[in-house]
Amino acid sequence: MAEWRQYYQNEDDEVEEDEEDSGGDYKISGRDSLVFLVDASKEMFIKSEDGETSNFDMTMQCVRSVYTSKIISSDKDLVALVFYGTEQSKNPRNSFKHVYVYHDLDSPGSQRVLDIDKLLGEKGAQFAEKTIGSGETSLGEALWCCSNLYSDIKLRLSHKRLMIFTCRDDPHGGDGAKDRQARTKAADLKETGVVIDLMHLTKPGGFDVSLFFCDIVSPPEDESELGLQIEPCRKLEDLQKRVRAKELKKRSQSRLTFSLGEGVNLAVGVYVLARTATKPSAVKLHRDTNEPVRTKTRYFHAHNGGILLPNDMKRAQVYGKKQIVMEKDEVDEIKKFDDPGLVLMGFKPMDRLKLHHHIRPALFIYPEEEQISGSSCVFTALLLKCSEKNVFALCRYIPRRNTPPRFVALVPQREELDQSQTQATPPGFNVIFLPFADDIRTLDAHVGPTASDEQVDKMKEIVHKLRFKYKSDSFENPVLQQHYRNLEALALNMLEPEPIEDLTMPKVQMMDARLGPLAQEFKDLVYPPDYNPEGKPAAKRKTVSDSTAQASGTTDCKKDVQ
Amino acid sequence: MARAAKSALVLCMDVGFSMSNSEPGQEPPFEQAKKVIQKFVQRQVFAENKDEVGLVLFGTDGTKNRLAKDGQYENITVHRHLMMPDFELLEEIESELQPGGQQADWLDALVVCMDLLQQETMGKKFERLNIVLLTDLNVQTSADQLDVIINSLKKAGITLQFFLPFPLDGEDRADGGGDGPGPSAASARPGKGLSSQQTQGLEMVKNIMTSLEEEDGLEEVHTFRDALEKLSIFKRIDRRPMAWPCQLTIGSSLTIRIVGYKAVTEEKVKKSWTIVDAQSHQRDDVKRETVYCLNDDDETEVQKDDTIQGFRYGSDIVPFSKVDEDQMKYKSDGKCFSVLGFTKQELIRRHQFMGSQVVKVFAARDDEHAAVALSALIRALDSLKMAAIVRYAYDRRSNPQVGAAFPCIKEKYECLLYVQLPFMEDLRQFTFPMLENNKKFTPSESQLSAADALIDSMMLVEKDEDGESVDVFKVNHIPNPQFQRLFQCLHHRGVNPDDPLPPVEPWLKRALERPQAVSARCQAPLQDVKTKFPLKVVVKKKEQKTSADVFGSSADEPDAKRVKVDEEMEFNLAEIAAGNITSVGSVNPVRDFCALVRQKTVSFDQACQQLTHRIEQLLGNRSPEYYMKSIACIQAFRDQSVSSGNAELFNSYMQSLKRSVPDRNLQEFWDLLIQDALTLISKDEVDGSTISKQDANQFLAFEQKEEVQAAPVQEDTGDVDDLLDMM
Repeated sequence: MAEWRQYYQNEDDEVEEDEEDSGGDYKISGRDSLVFLVDASKEMFIKSEDGETSNFDMTMQCVRSVYTSKIISSDKDLVALVFYGTEQSKNPRNSFKHVYVYHDLDSPGSQRVLDIDKLLGEKGAQFAEKTIGSGETSLGEALWCCSNLYSDIKLRLSHKRLMIFTCRDDPHGGDGAKDRQARTKAADLKETGVVIDLMHLTKPGGFDVSLFFCDIVSPPEDESELGLQIEPCRKLEDLQKRVRAKELKKRSQSRLTFSLGEGVNLAVGVYVLARTATKPSAVKLHRDTNEPVRTKTRYFHAHNGGILLPNDMKRAQVYGKKQIVMEKDEVDEIKKFDDPGLVLMGFKPMDRLKLHHHIRPALFIYPEEEQISGSSCVFTALLLKCSEKNVFALCRYIPRRNTPPRFVALVPQREELDQSQTQATPPGFNVIFLPFADDIRTLDAHVGPTASDEQVDKMKEIVHKLRFKYKSDSFENPVLQQHYRNLEALALNMLEPEPIEDLTMPKVQMMDARLGPLAQEFKDLVYPPDYNPEGKPAAKRKTVSDSTAQASGTTDCKKDVQ
Repeated sequence: MARAAKSALVLCMDVGFSMSNSEPGQEPPFEQAKKVIQKFVQRQVFAENKDEVGLVLFGTDGTKNRLAKDGQYENITVHRHLMMPDFELLEEIESELQPGGQQADWLDALVVCMDLLQQETMGKKFERLNIVLLTDLNVQTSADQLDVIINSLKKAGITLQFFLPFPLDGEDRADGGGDGPGPSAASARPGKGLSSQQTQGLEMVKNIMTSLEEEDGLEEVHTFRDALEKLSIFKRIDRRPMAWPCQLTIGSSLTIRIVGYKAVTEEKVKKSWTIVDAQSHQRDDVKRETVYCLNDDDETEVQKDDTIQGFRYGSDIVPFSKVDEDQMKYKSDGKCFSVLGFTKQELIRRHQFMGSQVVKVFAARDDEHAAVALSALIRALDSLKMAAIVRYAYDRRSNPQVGAAFPCIKEKYECLLYVQLPFMEDLRQFTFPMLENNKKFTPSESQLSAADALIDSMMLVEKDEDGESVDVFKVNHIPNPQFQRLFQCLHHRGVNPDDPLPPVEPWLKRALERPQAVSARCQAPLQDVKTKFPLKVVVKKKEQKTSADVFGSSADEPDAKRVKVDEEMEFNLAEIAAGNITSVGSVNPVRDFCALVRQKTVSFDQACQQLTHRIEQLLGNRSPEYYMKSIACIQAFRDQSVSSGNAELFNSYMQSLKRSVPDRNLQEFWDLLIQDALTLISKDEVDGSTISKQDANQFLAFEQKEEVQAAPVQEDTGDVDDLLDMM
């Protein structure tokens, strides 16, 4: 499929280029879509007790962050923003009163981000007042309007989600007819595969989901889940987390058989929870019209000019004077060892998993009940027992056909919830790739004097002063951020891109201030007065020849690596 | 971090007659040693290492070496002088390396090797000099020169490795022999004691190795099996990773001079395949051409110079020239290893390690002040169970990373281990339904105990006699099977150009299997699991993919175009009738065709002919977007044929299309037809058809099977399996 794979891009592209991992799941392919249905009633604009942000403002910030993250990570997804309870009405056929479609279902671009910016903050509230205003509420009409948005889309939608942001638990103030209409329209939407979530916000006296919204939202994914967050969101961070957790449809990279041996097989889905995000590749455009151009690649015979079909070509490598020729399928066959899947080798105590045995980002597996029923039960039993006994499972892993095996450690991970009862870590096994002998390099360790207790203690003070709580999502990639700011500036004809904050740079001034005299005290303890660690000691440049000579000062540390 | 400099190595193999002795059913040491040499040279040749290799044989019938004089150094043959190994050497080893009928002193052979190394490396630079001795030690040696030999080895900086048929220490001798058993299975030569010469020889080996490198020396005495399965020969001459000198900084005033080395990273196959003409095997006979064309019907070609680059920004495509991009892009201020702060190790999740490497960071070499400063940091972190979060940039051109530096304290050295951590953009937060406390999936007590017993029976860590736990399945001792297999096949094809590829070597297969002992142990617990957990393959409901599914998210531009294709399926007949369509155009062939058939302005035959002409045009593009359009055409062709009761045109077109599939490389397209079940029109549908329902059904299916055999096996074709399952 090589030829047309190159046109076939999906969000897992880089992983694919790596040839080791496969792309998204075909069966659930299609666009994801997400409609934000936001309450625009007066209550939403009331500022919170601390006088800082209103629920409306918080919601807009959240929508903006989804827009920008979609632009970066999944620019093919469709997003819409619809207000209900508005004074003004704006929708495709203008058949719904008090419903304002601010953004139609479409992939978000730069203009939309700017549109949202207009709604932010104090000015934003004024702008909203002017453009959309607050008026009567009919959630039924709003849901009906949203269902039209979905049906107007001619693309195949794989995942349809609608999120209602509101701080009113009884939007129609006891109007039974309107309640009924809303329930009917919600049921219609759910029938067409739309998942409805409630992102309820704080209101004085508490938000009572059972009053009305329990009949509107979709039932939970599994019966054990409560479905409704009991606590309404107070903070932007919580709201963003909650939205983000729902907003992405999880896609398995592949579904595989996990064989325990003797024909005991379960089915698992393999997920990519972390992969390096890179700049998307450039698109070639025609200079005159800026329209995208395609590339066509073909092979032809150098002498007679005839087009060469795959059967007319073979593969070759040359070693010295020796040319070795193989068929294309032989080249593929060489990589085949077994069918795709996970095969259990055995178990090892967790301490046998070495920190430095790292060659690629991990994957995640979760049982697939739809492939082999009973998988979840075995999986759960293994998960519980591995976790209890503090062991990991060692498996041979072949992700796809004609792919050589790798060994992986399946590390148990039990579910963890955070304070707001949102899932912080999902239940399943992390799949850690283990290095082969070839992947471990022999190196000559440097051996030198070690520090005294006094020196170590001083450093401990330094470490203590510079402690912080690491969170994996606290650093943005400055290269990517800059790239998107540049594009944004060009797309919007801005004079220059908005500056980025490079979070990867050390906050030197703050660190110096916190350390105070400690840095100097430490230096006095370890460095002689005339020593300058920043100067380049010119004489000390090593060449290849003298590194051979000084074998005595080094020890072979390969065995430690192992 | 590339690696530099090369090594010189002499393989010194005993071919004397005792090497051919073996117990019944055992492979003679000669054959084992030959395999070791073969494997080693194979790897050197195919990995295109620049190291130079010599081959010295002893115990040969003849004598050929520089030192032979007056009956000294007899039966020792320098088979190959120091040079880069090539395919000829492989062929020579295969055909010319034969057991000899003599015995020779291995110490004499060692001296010949030293002489060879010294003579032939003169004036050239080598990082390492190494001699590999493969012998069964079964010969009388004269130890009187031992001290002289050891001294000159030391002086010349030559390292030694011994490969013996048996292990050094008697303890696990039972485990040592032969290339037969898997890593954990005990082997075969029980009771076989060593001869007095061998015992004496072993003592001398120990003596030499410990005098050269103290206690570590003994680690360089291996068994033949180790050599094959653990790449032990390569360890010695392995080129060291390049040093990366930098400064670790904490705030603005605290700086420590450091050096980093890539310690663990995924080795990939370096050499790629070139495409040659199938007949001539000439690379130059194949020309590759890439053209740019507009997305219009004529596929207007555009010169490369007339293209500019752009990027997607959500729904927009922003033109952004390379020059502008370079000017505006993020600029890093060069290499750095700057501490951003310190955090608890437990906050850094193992599964969130990113990147493809681990870097070991030491203090600058020979800078004891830096060593002390770094040691203070390493020890402080270690005792606080903390790690440093650092900004790491390899150089000015590379993108900065955020990573963690963990303390690592070993018996002999200390260092920091640096691993890259994720950026916010790298993470995906998926929520999964809970498993525990989920009524449907909660395992019962008896199920849990079955899982418990299974784990106990499958532990890969066992206690040895001393009560120390031993890992019986060390992945990091297994050579990457991909390389082994590739080199084996290259070697085989090189020697036997017309043979099919050989099967995977048995030892390699075994190395990838569950250890036998574990397999045996877990039989009963596995049976128990099997009975206690009901597992049933779910019979798939018609899980066919339609072409629309395949392309649904395929994101091939432009989006508008695909929307159009979809719309075409639901065109409005009234609208068409109103239009004035006279032929099947390329923009909307389905609509045109349907209109023509309906309006009857041309004959059905003609309409079909025009349509198939368009289909052929579209298929010429071999791209998914056009496939979609073609399928829509074929669907319309079929529908209209059925409703006009004319099966012949459609069926004959489909049959000819099918015949052309292999030549035009349209397998993917054909797969889509299968998925949409666009097969021949059968009698059941149109009376005039000559095709039975069964034939129609088989029409596509049969092709599929044939194709799987014939078509080159594609990457990422897991879905083809599914299709086969369904049939």
